[in-house]
Amino acid sequence: MLNPSRVTIPRSVFMRFVKSPDTPKDQPSLFRTLFTLPAIFYSVLLIALPLLYIFFLSFMRSDNYGGILYEFNLENYGEIFDSTYLSIFLKSALIGLATTFICLLISYPFAIFLRGVPEKRRNLIMKLVMVPFLTNSLIRTYGLITLLRKNGVINAGLMATGLISEPLSLMYNNLGILIGMVYTLLPFMILPVCSAVGKVDQNLLDAAEDLGAGKFHKFFKIYLPLTLQGAFNGSLMVFIPAIGFFFIADILGGGRAMIIGNLIKNQFLTARNWPLGAAFSIVLLGITFLLVKAYKKIGGNLDELGGG
Amino acid sequence: MKLLEKLKTPLLSLTAIGLVIIIVALATRPRATEPETANTLNVLNWTSYIPSEIIKDFEAESGIKVNYGTYSSNEELLAKLVSSSDGTYDVVFPSDYMVDLLISKDLLAPLDHSKLPNEANLNPLFLNQPYDTANKYSLPFLLATTVFLYDSTKLDRLTSYKDLQDPSLVNNLVLLDDQRIIIGAMLQATGHDMNDAHADHLQDSLDFFNQIKPNIKAFDSDSPKTFFITKEVDAGLVWNAEATLAVEENPDLKISYPAEGFALSMDNYVILKGSRHQDAAHAFINYLLRNDVSQKIVDEYPYLSPNKSVASLPDAELTQILENGSYVKNVGADIKAFDKLWAKYK
Repeated sequence: MLNPSRVTIPRSVFMRFVKSPDTPKDQPSLFRTLFTLPAIFYSVLLIALPLLYIFFLSFMRSDNYGGILYEFNLENYGEIFDSTYLSIFLKSALIGLATTFICLLISYPFAIFLRGVPEKRRNLIMKLVMVPFLTNSLIRTYGLITLLRKNGVINAGLMATGLISEPLSLMYNNLGILIGMVYTLLPFMILPVCSAVGKVDQNLLDAAEDLGAGKFHKFFKIYLPLTLQGAFNGSLMVFIPAIGFFFIADILGGGRAMIIGNLIKNQFLTARNWPLGAAFSIVLLGITFLLVKAYKKIGGNLDELGGG
Repeated sequence: MKLLEKLKTPLLSLTAIGLVIIIVALATRPRATEPETANTLNVLNWTSYIPSEIIKDFEAESGIKVNYGTYSSNEELLAKLVSSSDGTYDVVFPSDYMVDLLISKDLLAPLDHSKLPNEANLNPLFLNQPYDTANKYSLPFLLATTVFLYDSTKLDRLTSYKDLQDPSLVNNLVLLDDQRIIIGAMLQATGHDMNDAHADHLQDSLDFFNQIKPNIKAFDSDSPKTFFITKEVDAGLVWNAEATLAVEENPDLKISYPAEGFALSMDNYVILKGSRHQDAAHAFINYLLRNDVSQKIVDEYPYLSPNKSVASLPDAELTQILENGSYVKNVGADIKAFDKLWAKYK
């Protein structure tokens, strides 16, 4: 009866609210409606209203001192096509794509390995994947500094074993940003990919093997086509945060690289140009929206994106 | 049992509704009006700027209760002041250009200098600064300057921005992550004023900066001293207090002032126009102006104190610093040019 996921996931609540196909007839729908109030209240007050405000702001003008002039204009959106900003968008996309690709590369072997592990141990391993979520990602990012810096744990260890003579530049560059992004976002890829790979029918694999398919063939002819949705689902959940996680670019990139997230942050905090920052945010939302559309088009299930 | 089953849904729903109502009520209820006595004071200051024991000492001595809040940038301060009702805050500590802006927005109350006898402790060199020429609204609290900090075992000297272009420093510099300060420094390096937004001059600064770029390891404003303490870099442009603290950790580090000029950032005491605790506000400022209190503050946060009795630098040197340094000024719509240039710098 008291299914927490129905209470806390606004989307599914809305779906039920609009048309509840599996509502048992004997349940009074009024109470159901009232029961969803906290979720509706949360969605409207903390998601919809602020977004509407951001959308509204993006058409206003800055007074250059952190204030807003209420004059409708489209200049902020024109600014986006400035080559300086376009190159930041491009760089963000590259970082996002690289992060997504590396996460995919790690997740598939992991998922296929996990299929063969007895269920009890599999659950334990999945729990270990989730453990880092218990700590704030900002703190984990600072923790990475200790490992990656010039005389950090990794460099000191490698130097001590004589494998390298000069410390490696593991952070304060694009490599540092990638390490941080992959580390932080990997679980978002592992979960959907593992779930998709786990559902692949063993009979198909056995049949393929009987017919002489090697590992390579099995992967490209069976695993990959059958798990594309899971992979796309994970890619969405990795790519979108990756273009916005400004703190990783700041901390592990040494503030040398700007991604969309930094650009938006700067407009709000240093350039005092909230309307331009709002316009950038709307563009970011637009990108997200398009990607989700594409996901739906290839037959993706939106509920799975919600972590279901 | 059956009855309980039947009641379960309505009960849960009612609980949920009740919770929502309580949350809304709590969130929107008007602030419980505290007894408005003369004995409270609402202070908003930079994070880590006054040791907390000083606030406690002041409360014990004066019997005034201090509500102490913090902000981490002038822009955040402005946003808090503009969005709060009159009288929410009494004393705040804006920097130079923000004092100017707050005056122009008519948010400040003139100081009553007769209630500030300890003002006599201030070194006149720090008074009558360009953002408040007669100290009508503000008094100086602490002065920050950008300085070079470098490892003297690796570098013989570091006196000019040109030295930062030295190829031997590749991947070995840390600079403040602050667009106005760094673009300003590059403008100074190319012979311009740090507030100059002329397109050609901004381009000059970018060209000069591009010669330094390969040497930059990181931009950091939060704790650039860490880079020196962990020996991650050999040189950098940082705030004076950070530099002093780094030298305390590693005596091989040396501090110098850039020959072409550097940034000054003076934080000030001001009282807000809407303040209902004018007397307490003056008493608080007067307390912080005391010699022993000023000393305690710089012991912990080693910026330059305008207090005469605080051992800092000889007058001749201070004069030189104030002459060679410049304040960041409000540049109006040109701020957009600075912001876009910053994206190009990176």
